[in-house]
Amino acid sequence: MIDGFSHIVLHVTDLDRSEAFYRDVFGLDVIGRDLVADEGRNSLLGTNTRQRVLLVEVPEVVAIRPNSSSIHHAWLLTIDEFERAKDRFAAAGFDINDSRAQFRARGENSVDIFDPDGHRFQVQAYSPAATEVIKENTGPIACGHMDDYAVGAVKAFVKGKFFLVRIEEGFLAVSRWCTHMNGLLSWKQEHWHFYCPMHGAMFNRKGESLPCSRPCPTLRLHPVTIGADGTITVDPDTAIRRDGFDPAQVVPAKAGASSRFPETALC
Amino acid sequence: MADVETLSHSGISVHDLKEAEDFYCGILGAQVHGAVNFVTEDTLKGRSVHQSYTLGDFLFALVLAPDFMPMPPADKLMGVNGFRHAFAVRHADFDATIARLKAAGVPFKGPVGHPDKGPFGESVYFKDPSGNFLELLWRRDENVDYAKAPQLDVG
Repeated sequence: MIDGFSHIVLHVTDLDRSEAFYRDVFGLDVIGRDLVADEGRNSLLGTNTRQRVLLVEVPEVVAIRPNSSSIHHAWLLTIDEFERAKDRFAAAGFDINDSRAQFRARGENSVDIFDPDGHRFQVQAYSPAATEVIKENTGPIACGHMDDYAVGAVKAFVKGKFFLVRIEEGFLAVSRWCTHMNGLLSWKQEHWHFYCPMHGAMFNRKGESLPCSRPCPTLRLHPVTIGADGTITVDPDTAIRRDGFDPAQVVPAKAGASSRFPETALC
Repeated sequence: MADVETLSHSGISVHDLKEAEDFYCGILGAQVHGAVNFVTEDTLKGRSVHQSYTLGDFLFALVLAPDFMPMPPADKLMGVNGFRHAFAVRHADFDATIARLKAAGVPFKGPVGHPDKGPFGESVYFKDPSGNFLELLWRRDENVDYAKAPQLDVG
């Protein structure tokens, strides 16, 4: 039934001031005045898609509903537009630091801007860093002896950003970088899954996207090598892309075992 | 050219996520996109519990309000409560859309015609169960080939 989003309507107390703000600070196009039947004098502005903003002048404005939370609207900019917008925001006196930086994935840029009447906008842009394969160039990481991992164990490594997972069939070194955007996953022991606090993605221990979550590609792996003495080494500088879980990806808990992957899976 | 691509999403407070889902999905045809921050420790850190929905090309994050929000008067059908979101339907589908609102028992105002010089045709105005104002309209520019909103899959 619905063909798509058309426009958002906002009340403002001073149409001239707000129209100038949305044009000069946010960077919207002014389409025209009083093109719409509404409760007051109005100005229609446009983005680069068909989406519009309608500013309607009224004597009094309640920008944010009492007792509500997290109310905001998010402009999406290209990364070039975002760099220009930051300059305009700074010139207009806004703090252009992201107040919620700890909740952002890498490459996810965001600032909060309030219009002259207090309407809250998130301004966001995504750089290629959001989805590129991250490598820290740590070199191989020694992970201890294979007998130190009980079946079911999941150990998070800070250096190299991976989980070493011991399942019944053996070992998997699962990348901690979410395949949706580069958020860092954590292991939720009580829920028995990997969880991305950035956008809510969930994965099982084999790295498969769980149902009821944002569907994502299977988590990447890193090569695991088990030495003759049973010590485990993981190479986080090599990432292995995969289309799903395959038992052949598991390195058996045996001295001398190691990961084998086709060249085409390396990334 | 504007220096803004699109409005990617809105975070909107509601009183009841299930009630909101029944309304947005059942009547307006939205799709559930994802549940975010249903993990207790996130809420303890002050992150918002929300469920997101896609409605056409738009992403709504419906956020559980921390307390009861004052409601607009029951008979006020057109307005803004901080904001109002308007969604486009094809002109050919407009009557069927109005019939659908009627059948679902959603009170609405309209259709209201817009000036000929503008891009909008006719609108109907209504509210979601939590008192957020909504609008459905057909647009005179519905056949103009605008750039598509990029699909971001966040929120």
